[in-house]
Amino acid sequence: MFGSATTLERALILIVAAFLVFLPSIVRDPYHIHTATMIVYFSFMAASWNFVCGYVGQLSLGHSVFSGVAGYVTVLMFTQMGLSPWIGMLFGGFFAAVLSLAIGFPTFRLKGPYFTLTTIAFAEIMRIWFENTDNFIGIPLKGSEGLVVPLVGDSFWAFQFNEKLPYYYIALALLAIIVIATAIMERSKLGYYLKAIRGDRDGAEALGINPTKYSLIALSISAFFTGIGGAFFAQFFRYINPERNMGIDLSIDMAIMSIIGGQGTVLGPILGSFILHPIAEVARTSLGGSFLGLHLVIYGAVLALTVLYFPQGIIVPLRKLLARISGGDVK
Amino acid sequence: MLNRREFGRNATFAGLMLYTASTAAFAQEESIKIGLLLPLSGGSAAVGNQTKTGAEVAAAQINEAGGVNGSKLELVFADSQSKPDIGVSETERLIQREEVAMVVGAYNSAVTFPSSEVAERYGVPWLVSGSVKNEITERGFRYIFRPNNKAFYDAREQIDAIDLLAEQTGERPESIGLFYRGDDWGRSHAQAVKQIAEERGYTISLDESYVPGQVDFSAQLLKIRSKKPGALIFVAGTADHILFNKQMLGNRIDLPFGLHSVGGGAEDPSFYEAVPEAGYEYMFTQEDWQIDRMQSGNLPAEVIAGDEAFEKVLGYGFNSYGAQGFSNIYIAADAIARAGSAERDAIRDALAATDITEGPALITGYQRVSFDENGQNLDAHGVISQNIAGERLTVWPQENRLESTTPAWPIPSWRDR
Amino acid sequence: MDPTLALHVVKNGLLIGGIYGGVALGLSLIFGVMRIINFAHGSMLMVAMYLAWGLWAGLGLHPYIGAIITVPALFGLGYLVQACIISHLFRREKAFVVEPLSALLLTAGVFLVMDNLVLMIFGPDVRAVSIDLAYANFFLGDIPINIPRFIAFVSAIGVAGVLSWWLKTSDMGRAIRATAQNRDAATMVGINVPLVYNITFGLGTAILGLFGALLVPFFSVTPTLGLAFGIKSFVVVVLGGIGSIWGCVVGGIVLGLFEAFASQFVTATSAQIFSFGLFVVILLVRPSGLLGKA
Repeated sequence: MFGSATTLERALILIVAAFLVFLPSIVRDPYHIHTATMIVYFSFMAASWNFVCGYVGQLSLGHSVFSGVAGYVTVLMFTQMGLSPWIGMLFGGFFAAVLSLAIGFPTFRLKGPYFTLTTIAFAEIMRIWFENTDNFIGIPLKGSEGLVVPLVGDSFWAFQFNEKLPYYYIALALLAIIVIATAIMERSKLGYYLKAIRGDRDGAEALGINPTKYSLIALSISAFFTGIGGAFFAQFFRYINPERNMGIDLSIDMAIMSIIGGQGTVLGPILGSFILHPIAEVARTSLGGSFLGLHLVIYGAVLALTVLYFPQGIIVPLRKLLARISGGDVK
Repeated sequence: MLNRREFGRNATFAGLMLYTASTAAFAQEESIKIGLLLPLSGGSAAVGNQTKTGAEVAAAQINEAGGVNGSKLELVFADSQSKPDIGVSETERLIQREEVAMVVGAYNSAVTFPSSEVAERYGVPWLVSGSVKNEITERGFRYIFRPNNKAFYDAREQIDAIDLLAEQTGERPESIGLFYRGDDWGRSHAQAVKQIAEERGYTISLDESYVPGQVDFSAQLLKIRSKKPGALIFVAGTADHILFNKQMLGNRIDLPFGLHSVGGGAEDPSFYEAVPEAGYEYMFTQEDWQIDRMQSGNLPAEVIAGDEAFEKVLGYGFNSYGAQGFSNIYIAADAIARAGSAERDAIRDALAATDITEGPALITGYQRVSFDENGQNLDAHGVISQNIAGERLTVWPQENRLESTTPAWPIPSWRDR
Repeated sequence: MDPTLALHVVKNGLLIGGIYGGVALGLSLIFGVMRIINFAHGSMLMVAMYLAWGLWAGLGLHPYIGAIITVPALFGLGYLVQACIISHLFRREKAFVVEPLSALLLTAGVFLVMDNLVLMIFGPDVRAVSIDLAYANFFLGDIPINIPRFIAFVSAIGVAGVLSWWLKTSDMGRAIRATAQNRDAATMVGINVPLVYNITFGLGTAILGLFGALLVPFFSVTPTLGLAFGIKSFVVVVLGGIGSIWGCVVGGIVLGLFEAFASQFVTATSAQIFSFGLFVVILLVRPSGLLGKA
């Protein structure tokens, strides 16, 4: 599955995976389980972003739209039609995928910063529209107030649990799915095409690869997963609003975690989230507002340093280090 | 404000984190922990900081007077960053890690709503501070108590004040305009005002929202000029409020029955520094705190001392959020004293039985604090002040209006000022 | 729409549009020469406004006099950001043109650090300069025109004029234009390209130093103000054509007029949606902008 990995790397990945699975038997405290769930959730979101942006080499800062829209679909299908969120989130994911095609078709022709600015504009249009629409053709969107998922108690069908533990394992399962999906994609035809497009878009086109088509396929899969993440968020907090779930903050988080960890790699985005989320958590809990915005200063500095010194993400020097330790011959 | 002796014992902490140090000193004795979830960074940080300071002033007073049932109060602050998910995480931390006896918070309704549900699930009492979303006390929860207004009350009071002034002078505006921030707060407020105003026979001549962080209001001012509302209800944060009032002044737009701000920006002392007096003269401000309270006489000694202590920290005296933070801690202390222990269920029952009719907890200008079966204080009301000759004087309700106050109604046009 | 109202709308659109254009000039210049989109552009305006406010609040300097300090200070800030941070990117890639995304990300890092450092230093409170001139009007026929806004508008056009004249006639200006056209050729004729880059970046931010001082009389300052102006500037630059000085002013005025007219027919929130929509449509239909070369 991780073709290019050394034995030591594989062993390490297995240890981390096993650690994540057995973590709840070591720490039982709900606060820690909650924090661990958030780290896994952000890893999943960063990995979903990476699925298209990391491999095609385009920077989207509008991905939160897919999360928000799918979250709304899931919640509305539950409150209006009584449909289980498990099914609703699949619908939400598909809805996000369709939306991504509508946005991606015209914008993927744009390059570099033009693409980035357009994704921001699309996301802002959607967010402002959602914030100011109480009722759309009979659907109660409730504007900026956001939607509340009514409490029904411990119920698997309703995706509601009294304990934190089920949410943690659901998030972990989602993370496993996106990791496997990315690994498969990387070795498939799609993965090779995307890398070709990333390396030299015109060259790829000359070889008969249709860049827009393959970018769009990857984008729709990425949007689908991002949407599932949004649905998970809505169920976990039982509350969703346009500002948090569609705003630019979430998009920036997803992108920065991927880029710092290592975009265009299977595990880079997860590494990024595992590094950055705890920094934010510690900065907030230990300094508790004494130094406003400190964690964002750290984010910014880490981002700038990464771009300058590890343009492919922190995962690259890490792998080199591991290779040196194991004496392997990985380049 | 701080007890010097106790502070000195922890001199190693001194200078690093002032308040953490003071609370750490108390931790050596048997102390009762109260968690405060507030927006200490992000867009609402100024409000969070004012509430925090008010709460600290109250806690210091209570502790200096011997604490509650012989135990000191220890305040544990958590930063929500105005984000719902961070608020939920921090509530978990306050309850699980810090093991607080109760939580006070969290100003932003979007944070209070999901976070207070966490508290309900763990059976931890939650005293709402500043959040007005109606549904917060409409969920049938047992552990949620809100001493302050609901959004619906805020809206009703603004119309009540217009009605009262119309009744007293015989001059009544025909139409009311609405101009509000396009977010949760602004939109729900405008909706409620619209409903009540129409029920009482006013026409709504302007209904306009804007995206927070505007760089120019010229276009909207033109609309106001052409729609000519008698009175204008305005919802804005500090930066937008400053810009709007400055441009109103620059364009000399007449509103015969005034600009009615629902607080927000107009509650922030920095608003009054930024806008010249002419820019807010005759403006009405609705807030959960009686602005001329300090002049009203018969004040509890705690409130007078608190105002001084507050000013020492922030450079200005109590404002709405500072007063609410101060009041919240006194309400909590009252309940804990009656509960006789720091046990969460005992505090919950004591809170439910709250009936405060005097003392520093009423700094906000309420006549009484008690909670109905949903945890809402039915005696909560805001106070509406008008800015006359550089002073903000209470004009509504009549009971809070000082005898010396004569409201300006209708207000003089620009030409006559 | 009745004619008087229309005149008011045109006045509002022109004034705010000119200001948008002036604020965006530096962004356009930097992109034209270095092919870098400075994500921290708005943050630098915010820093300039804090500086102008600080000079007024601390030393009692009128913001227009404070500009004597804010302009060189922002030149220095821009020069240092380019010389100490962004130049590493050029050095690493051993080229005079870097991948635009890396530069965007790098400046996004600068944006995060700058905004939040200011938040840590000054706190979240809103700061504002209160001077009487902010409310002074003169009349053009029946139309009142706000003097400080008019000054900002005239300055935008003045700066654009001076800048394009300077680029045409001075030695450094010619070196900058040569570098923008062909970096390798510029190096060969002995132009110090890294220095040109530093000066270009400094110039781009120095313009923000001027506008910071011109805007504080009527805009209040918060640490988060930058992003709103930054995004507006991107829109303006794209509208006018990236790298075109006069296109920038035209783009600003087009956006200003568009917003002013749209706001008369729909709410301010919908107008905001439309202005983002206009941006997307221009990018898709005519990515080179209104005055840019196709």
